Amino acid sequence: MKKLMNDPAHYVDEALDGLTLAHPSLMRDGSAGRVIRRAEATRKGKVGIVSGGGSGHLPLFCGYVGQGLLDTCSIGNVFEGPNVDSCMEAIRLADGGQGILRLYGNYGGDRMNFDIAGEMLEDEGIRCTTVLGTDDIASGGPDEIERRRGVAGLIYAYKCAGAAAEAGAHLEEVTRLAAKAVAMTRTIGVGLAACRLPSAARPSFELGENEIEMGIGIHGEPGIWRDTLRPSDAVADEMVERLLADLPPSGAEVSVLVNGLGATPLEELFILFRRVHKKLAEAGLRVVMPLIGNYVTSMEMQGASVSLFHLDEELKRLLLAPAECPFWRVG
Amino acid sequence: MELTVEQIAEGVRRANHAMVDLEQALNAADAKLGDGDTGSMLVRVIGGMAAAAPKTATSVSEAFGKLARAGMSATGSSLGTLFAGAMLLLAKQTKDRSVDWADLSALVGAARDGMMARGGAKLGDKTVLDMMDALAAALEGKTDAAQAGKAGVDAAERTLEAYRDRPCKMGRAKFFSEKSVGLDDPGMLAFAGLVRALATAK
Repeated sequence: MKKLMNDPAHYVDEALDGLTLAHPSLMRDGSAGRVIRRAEATRKGKVGIVSGGGSGHLPLFCGYVGQGLLDTCSIGNVFEGPNVDSCMEAIRLADGGQGILRLYGNYGGDRMNFDIAGEMLEDEGIRCTTVLGTDDIASGGPDEIERRRGVAGLIYAYKCAGAAAEAGAHLEEVTRLAAKAVAMTRTIGVGLAACRLPSAARPSFELGENEIEMGIGIHGEPGIWRDTLRPSDAVADEMVERLLADLPPSGAEVSVLVNGLGATPLEELFILFRRVHKKLAEAGLRVVMPLIGNYVTSMEMQGASVSLFHLDEELKRLLLAPAECPFWRVG
Repeated sequence: MELTVEQIAEGVRRANHAMVDLEQALNAADAKLGDGDTGSMLVRVIGGMAAAAPKTATSVSEAFGKLARAGMSATGSSLGTLFAGAMLLLAKQTKDRSVDWADLSALVGAARDGMMARGGAKLGDKTVLDMMDALAAALEGKTDAAQAGKAGVDAAERTLEAYRDRPCKMGRAKFFSEKSVGLDDPGMLAFAGLVRALATAK
């Protein structure tokens, strides 16, 4: 597994330098430059939406800072939580006087850092709420959703919380809508080949030449099964069946995210989507705003994830509201 | 005997010095099931703590607070954040009072409980918490640095040994639970190495 990079120790900071040069709407901030914020000043009177997480997943997390999405994002080393300092700075920089929603994936390290940051800021009087992404159905049973990890479906919660905050909703309402978006989102991944950390000598796990892993996590966490490679349609069928079994549809519309994990060609994602679309139609579901591309990656991991976001009128309106960041534009 | 700011600063100096030898061994232990960066991460954390000049603190609580903040700037890794979080808890526990070596058992116990609540691991999961639990028990009734050091080193080595052949149930290694049998947990190994360093004048 070759990497086009300089020093592994500078991997994250050099990537952030390039990202912000390419996209002037994003700015590095914080004592160590490990916060990305919107270039324009924080809007007074708006609820702030803060996320954060380890590097290695671009566009997630910091690529979703923008109008109608996130205000700030704290950034950790590759596959490592953002430190307490950067979480505190991200919260302060997003503070427009109406409180902060901390919205990030359910990982122990990220939780600890954001929790301690919240405690350290108690004296500053910034009101914070937390909603955790828990969309990965392979990481816990339906009866233990609080144990599930957050993966690609987190961007639906970003979108809904961001739209509500932009429209002037107060903190309790923004928090409720983010939690509702998480509750209506389900994701499952499939891995074809592993990735390697910039500082590591070997890939973080191994998959045989002709092997795939159903349910793999975005850091290579083990999934549900490993078996021989099969046609895309069979993989799509199983993914959709598992997703619908986990959360049976309550309405008639879903948004679908067919997400590449980093090293999968768009062609393969469209081949997968074509069958996912058919399966959803057979289940009586209409697809709204399909998203196909690399939205949440795991460096050079090969594979894809499929997320379903079950819509009602309220969530659909938030999903379709205007938003703009370097990697996602709506309206 | 009173636990002093000077003793804490000396402990950080010893730990920082010990990391020179521990770094590669801890990286190698972590590489078995993880990213192979536990040693390098702790070098950054403890190096940051040493650079924060705990010696200049005017109280034990302030010294622990300096260590906590230095740790929080140095890493976002779970083990490093837990370590810094434990220091923060010690800073709160020792606020506005003098501390005696005889209090250390209860303080380590409080840090253990705080880390358990923070990180979600349980006793018996084969983590650094099992080391803290053993240390808290071993420090009971110890009233000076020499007694505490000897009891601490014994407890750390005994616990490392006792857990070696058990499966890990926390962190990334929990996904490879059966493979962790026979391997020392990198966090526990670091804890043992650091307790040994704290107890040994160099």
